[in-house]
Amino acid sequence: MEQQNNEMVKFENSPPTGMQVVLREFKKDKLAIISFLGITFLIIGFLVAAMFLNQEEILKIKLLERYTEPGVNGYKLGTDEAGRDMLGQLVIGAKNSILIAFAITIITSIAGIGLGIVMGYYGGFIDNLFMRITEFFMTLPNLMVIIVFVTIIPKYGIFELILIISLFQWMSTARLVRSKALSEGRRDYVSASKTMGTSDFAIMFKGILPNLSSILIVELTLNFAGNVGIETGLSFLGFGLPPSTPSLGTLVNYARNPIVLSEKWWVWLPASILILILMLGINYVGQALRRAADAKQRIG
Amino acid sequence: MNTANDLLTIRNLTTSFRIKETYHAAVEDVSLSLKKNEVLAIVGESGCGKSTLATTIVGLYNPVNTKVKGEIFYNNQNLTSLNDEQFNSLRGNDIGFIFQDPLSALNPLMRIGEQIAEGLMYHTKLSKQQRGERVLELLNQVGIAKPERVARQFPHQLSGGMRQRVMIAIALSCKPSILIADEPTTALDVTIQAQILDLLKALQSETETGIILITHDLGVVAEMADRVAVMYAGEVVEEAPVQELFTNAKHPYTRSLLNSIPQTHSENERLEVIQGMVPSLVNLPREGCRFSARIPWIDASAHEKTPQLHEIAPGHFVRCTCWKRFRFEGGEGGGTV
Repeated sequence: MEQQNNEMVKFENSPPTGMQVVLREFKKDKLAIISFLGITFLIIGFLVAAMFLNQEEILKIKLLERYTEPGVNGYKLGTDEAGRDMLGQLVIGAKNSILIAFAITIITSIAGIGLGIVMGYYGGFIDNLFMRITEFFMTLPNLMVIIVFVTIIPKYGIFELILIISLFQWMSTARLVRSKALSEGRRDYVSASKTMGTSDFAIMFKGILPNLSSILIVELTLNFAGNVGIETGLSFLGFGLPPSTPSLGTLVNYARNPIVLSEKWWVWLPASILILILMLGINYVGQALRRAADAKQRIG
Repeated sequence: MNTANDLLTIRNLTTSFRIKETYHAAVEDVSLSLKKNEVLAIVGESGCGKSTLATTIVGLYNPVNTKVKGEIFYNNQNLTSLNDEQFNSLRGNDIGFIFQDPLSALNPLMRIGEQIAEGLMYHTKLSKQQRGERVLELLNQVGIAKPERVARQFPHQLSGGMRQRVMIAIALSCKPSILIADEPTTALDVTIQAQILDLLKALQSETETGIILITHDLGVVAEMADRVAVMYAGEVVEEAPVQELFTNAKHPYTRSLLNSIPQTHSENERLEVIQGMVPSLVNLPREGCRFSARIPWIDASAHEKTPQLHEIAPGHFVRCTCWKRFRFEGGEGGGTV
């Protein structure tokens, strides 16, 4: 009884917090729920499926089976110009693209959050110095610079690509976190924390950071979608992953051949649709999260 | 003025802020001392430097844009010369600080229990479980009914009075010998104010803490304080034991302040006010009596050229000599010489 009473009091007194708000927002937005379930299912599905595939077998060139149509010879999605199974390539490519985007998101967010919070909290000279550096990076035409880097570096794989892209993607997070940390760092609770003898480091990462979490979750989700786009875009242009490592971008890249584009639709269409679905889904989820983080925009 | 049982001694403290490349003093040449088990109230209107004084004591100023001169002695340590690390070992442990607005002074995303335990974590060697027990003990001490539940809640789930109690619990967590309360009751309604003041008083008699109480509410001063320092435009203009100040105030500013307290028996009369406003930091006259501009009917010769604090009775200090010839505008009651 006591327990129940407490629960009731709590329910009536307190406005909904954290997860409750997010859940309510999602309930009101069918598209967001479908997107969330869809992309979770897709991402987990591709990651798990890729573990069970034999990559070497799939990437083996079998010239006799060039451009097999879907459904023939057990190739559910047909084969490409080298007779490689498209379904297998799609799974491996999706896994690579997702993992790359994920790694870039994590690296850039660690750098961006760390730098942004330091700039915002200390302000003054440190802020000035790092903001000018950030602005310098922002003025660079990212895609061009990345392409130059990729051409200069003689031999590169997934790991190098992640680092190169990360080098030019941390600025927006840093700026966002800085602006929020600037206002958050001048709140009374930060001063209160100081009067308790809390160190600057603890104030920044245990005091201020959790208060930025709502906008960060949104930013990271949308960044993730953006990073999938950048990786596939680069690969499509031929500056991303080498052809021996399939990714969604390299698969779409086959469509540059006019004959493939007009007659062999199974080679490029599945990958294109998958990119579309992934990007749309992540964006819908991100927008629902954004609304949940901002009371003014909420519909739930 | 400086005796051995002083807990905190402030000597010639000047805090200046940089505004457009020049430094302007918000607190100028303040000397005060706090004894054990004493409540020292600092009174003044908005912008007179009360809060600046408080934040200077605990080192909460921006090191780039603020210049601090003078000395603040605690335990033979000069607080103005400490670095961050030394300050951190002192703040929270020896000096507690209560903020004006408890909602903004509590981290909105940290549970009450964790916030109280934070100071204990840095300053004591208690284990996690012992800290938990101490948190409940503190919440009990400040009169919170269900400490187990409150410790798990977030600040927005508590009422204003409870939040201020939590603030007090945080400030008291490491049993500080000095407590600085910066307008602790301003954000609360009157009934809660009384409760919080009672609580502070009760806790003080228990722990023998020295309290610096910053307020602009003379009612609070009358109820709580042992000694009062009245500040105007960054200077202490009068300092006296509380009885003496309320019965025998001398400085024109103090008298005007006391005169402007609304009286219940004179319903139809106009509220007494002090003419003019506190000059802003940049426009503050740095020479002569700073209050002279607001009592223009007093002859300029009544003021000292460089007003000093004069001890006119044991423990009763008044700045400038204008009090001797001060009378309210149009009224009588010139100073008794």
